[in-house]
Amino acid sequence: MEQRVKAIIARVLNVEIGAITDDLSSGDIPQWDSVGNLAIISTIEQELDIEFPLEDLFDLTSVRSLVDEVNQLMNV
Amino acid sequence: MFDAPHSQVLRLIAAHAVNTPDKVALVSGSRRVTYAQLAANVEGAAAYLHAHGIQPGDHILLSAQKELEFVYLYLGAHLLGVVNVVVDAAAPRERLDYIVGIVKPVALFGTAVDATGYNFTPFNEVTFDNTALDSKVLPSLKHTDVADVMFTTGTTGVPKGVYLSHANIAGSASNTNGFIGTCAHDIEALALPLSHSFGLGRLRCVLTVGATLVLVGNFANLKVFFNVIAQEHVTGFGMVPAVWQYIKRLSGKRIGQFADQLRYIEIGSAALPVEDKRLLMELFPHTRICMHYGLTEASRAMFCEFHESADNLESIGHPASNLVEVCILDDQGEPVADGIDGEICVRGNMVVSSYFLDTDNDGSFFGDWFRTGDWGHRGTDGCYYLTGRKKELINVGGEKVSPVTIERAITSLGVADCACIAIPDPNGVLGEVPKAFLLKGGVEIDIDELKQKLSQLLPPHEIPVQWEWVDELPRTSSGKIQRLKLKK
Repeated sequence: MEQRVKAIIARVLNVEIGAITDDLSSGDIPQWDSVGNLAIISTIEQELDIEFPLEDLFDLTSVRSLVDEVNQLMNV
Repeated sequence: MFDAPHSQVLRLIAAHAVNTPDKVALVSGSRRVTYAQLAANVEGAAAYLHAHGIQPGDHILLSAQKELEFVYLYLGAHLLGVVNVVVDAAAPRERLDYIVGIVKPVALFGTAVDATGYNFTPFNEVTFDNTALDSKVLPSLKHTDVADVMFTTGTTGVPKGVYLSHANIAGSASNTNGFIGTCAHDIEALALPLSHSFGLGRLRCVLTVGATLVLVGNFANLKVFFNVIAQEHVTGFGMVPAVWQYIKRLSGKRIGQFADQLRYIEIGSAALPVEDKRLLMELFPHTRICMHYGLTEASRAMFCEFHESADNLESIGHPASNLVEVCILDDQGEPVADGIDGEICVRGNMVVSSYFLDTDNDGSFFGDWFRTGDWGHRGTDGCYYLTGRKKELINVGGEKVSPVTIERAITSLGVADCACIAIPDPNGVLGEVPKAFLLKGGVEIDIDELKQKLSQLLPPHEIPVQWEWVDELPRTSSGKIQRLKLKK
């Protein structure tokens, strides 16, 4: 699942998958701006058929936090 | 200390460097720059440019993100009479090529996403510790001389270069500070891009009033932004409506925790629904929430403060200061009565007198009245109301997108023809987004494939979110696409 989430982030931001490290956070690269962040959230929700709880969105600021949240929501 | 009779912005910064030398002017991460250091670096930047053979009247291109060195070079160029051409580091290559092609800058500074073939000097290779600038090298400059060329998006799809004089940028800062009430005690967080009129304007407002500006990368990581507000004791910031929707979506009402410390919020660049204005008033009952109406050509022409205008929040407000005039004119340039729609026209200290290219001046002015291309009226309450946009630009979260640019990219992929219009963002975040009408009869291409190929040609916000195949596109007798007819 980790690789799938990373692949989605890389595709949405139009960057190499190698650039998507665990520590990479929104705002770290020009592509991951607010529009990019919204696109990441909606694409993950759509492609993995999940819905992030609204109260969690504020804390989903890094690759790691997104992967952890997806794992938790999908009970992986 | 340098002397800059032509630039009120520089004179005010120099005065702060003398009167409050240890006051922090700029914060970037762990770096803090006092007014004395800022003035010295500005002088150092001018000396650097002079030492590299750059002459007054030359144009330099600054590709900005949010670097301190950008600020030094930007202001140093003003000191030397060099004209800044400020572009976004993420600007598509086609836009960069166009701007460089017509401006012919003598040097390029900063970074660009695609700088292949260009000789950019990175900001960290510029030195600012040169010996003090010999005042003899400073030419005799006037406040009407050009300070910056900012590029906007024209209705024809080609960017328009706007000549901003030293008087224009000082006038806009003075009008804005006067309306908002920003003062030397303020600490502002700047997360807006410095390459746009709004962000660059905030920089000048804060530095001319002797306040402190904290540079923040962008709004993407709201935890970082909120931490900056708390740790730096921020008292004001600027945002576009799309950022407000983003803050609301990701953080709910958490930003209200700063209600007691935020003295002002400036909003601009696109429309904001009245219900959002009311929500902001509820969250920030004591904050001046100032929404501007303006264009690069007529920056911050009007303001509406929400609490003061609680009964007419639909309004775009009234002129920013007594040095700004607004008039509603008909197609012949004659004033129309209150309540009647016409073109919103502006004149005043911040209104440009010409474009970079003479051809762009055609039809842009009625005498000294600048024609905004926006449609609206003056109400019986004396406030102005925007009723529609004469121009057909698509306002994607504050980014003005020309339908022509998108249409050209689509037809370059083999689609017979197409027309793009603005539709409300189905997600309710960006304000407007593009919709494309594709003419049948050209290359048979799947929409997903089209989107994939377009992503190589256009930035993400310019890629249409809705698509429709049509048998014909409405056209005038002279063959021009009638985009407005596609709006149902």
